[in-house]
Amino acid sequence: MIRFENVGKTYPNGTPALKDINLDIEKGEFVFLVGASGSGKTTFLRLLLREELPDSGRILEAGRDIGELPKWRVPYLRRNIGCVFQDFRLLPNKTVYENVAFALEVIGRPRSTVESQVPQILELVGLADKSNNLPSELSGGEQQRVAVARAFVNRPLILLADEPTGNLDPANSESIMSLLERINRTGTTVVMATHDKALVDRMRRRVIVLDKGEMVRDQVRGVYGVDEGAHR
Amino acid sequence: MRVYFRYAFRETISNLWRNRMMTLAAVLTVAVSLSLVGSALLLKQSAAQASVAWQTGTRVTVWMNPTASQGELDAVRTQLADSPLVHRCVFFDQARDYKEFLASLPPSETNVLTAADMPTSFRCEPTIPADAFIVESTFKNQPGVYDVTAPEQQIRQMNHAIRILQIVFLALAGVLLLSATVLILNTIRMAIFARRREVSVMKLVGATNWFIRIPFITEGFIQGLLGSLVAALAVTALHTWYPLHNEFALNNVALLGTNAVVIGVGVLIGSVGSAIAIRRFLDV
Repeated sequence: MIRFENVGKTYPNGTPALKDINLDIEKGEFVFLVGASGSGKTTFLRLLLREELPDSGRILEAGRDIGELPKWRVPYLRRNIGCVFQDFRLLPNKTVYENVAFALEVIGRPRSTVESQVPQILELVGLADKSNNLPSELSGGEQQRVAVARAFVNRPLILLADEPTGNLDPANSESIMSLLERINRTGTTVVMATHDKALVDRMRRRVIVLDKGEMVRDQVRGVYGVDEGAHR
Repeated sequence: MRVYFRYAFRETISNLWRNRMMTLAAVLTVAVSLSLVGSALLLKQSAAQASVAWQTGTRVTVWMNPTASQGELDAVRTQLADSPLVHRCVFFDQARDYKEFLASLPPSETNVLTAADMPTSFRCEPTIPADAFIVESTFKNQPGVYDVTAPEQQIRQMNHAIRILQIVFLALAGVLLLSATVLILNTIRMAIFARRREVSVMKLVGATNWFIRIPFITEGFIQGLLGSLVAALAVTALHTWYPLHNEFALNNVALLGTNAVVIGVGVLIGSVGSAIAIRRFLDV
């Protein structure tokens, strides 16, 4: 599903963000991306979204080199990638329903699709009864579930999550994680960058550890690790 | 497609309403500047039409005093006939001058005069049109001559005045059009800023660049269109209620053409303003 071949990225100020990364992520995998701040996690996700291009090497998604994609095709690539962020990024003046519907409307889905998909996905994330509330009327955990609903409503092949539990208490983190697991079970590849040691250790999924732009560990059914935990 | 039109329409209207004061300023500036452009165009066309009308007629008119004696009249007639500068002359008696007078001015200005008040005149064609002013100076001080007029000279002077007026109008209009473009650019920029969250979410979920851009372009387009419609109304009103002198009267085709130019320019600056704003401030 995702393949990095000798991928390197250096920022204009000269600091290397990623150095010679090689990895494969299969369809339907659940991968934790861990490492201290500045280890290159965010760059990794931005490269997958093609918000940036690698300086060297290439990235393949669904068998295609995304670096060779013409600029106008990039939006179509992003329709296959859902995104969740630490700060939710919901539209404050739209209701829960409208926030999720917006994601379908702006890619030109007909109204009938919107009307059938949105209630269904809100049911999945357990917010069907809050669909007419504004984000400001919801708890942080609920807001993040809206964000997950928005990311998943178009049934993307890949779901990227950048510290999705970073702003949440343990109980809410737990509910987001179980939601991501359910999404993963539908066959969606999930890549989640996180600092949450307890969560990673409990889940026992594949763990990729980045340190100063280098991949220092790639472990199936891994743990967060002592060394990396000390960086926090 | 239908979904998209509904979306673009909704977004455009809500953008315009959100920024209504800026929108009003932009629309009014467009309206004022395009009214000037329209008036300048109308002025130019009527001047051109008037010149043509005048130049096909007599080039030098020797007006006799109404009291001139038959002897004075005959002397002038002979001299005109002998002058190498004059190709040929036609004599207009009082009745004929009066008829022409009635035809060329509105009734409100003609009803106080009768044929008896009219001077007689010689309508002459100079051998060389440019010599009209020599004929003028030669006959001006002849006994019995009231005045000699050479319309060509007048036309030239008037055309000169009109040209200056036109340059002033167009220069003013140019400055105003520039500021209108900047105002439109600025309203679009504010709209982009107000919607930056939406735009970032749209990019995230894979909306195409044109999908994101079009509501902003439509917004500028509509501002230009509204402004130019106001200007077209003003130009039409000017033409209808304050027609210039009869000889300047223009037909409706000229008016339609002028309004078409006005609307075209308005739509153009609206689109250009928003296009610049999008290039500079919308990062898609």
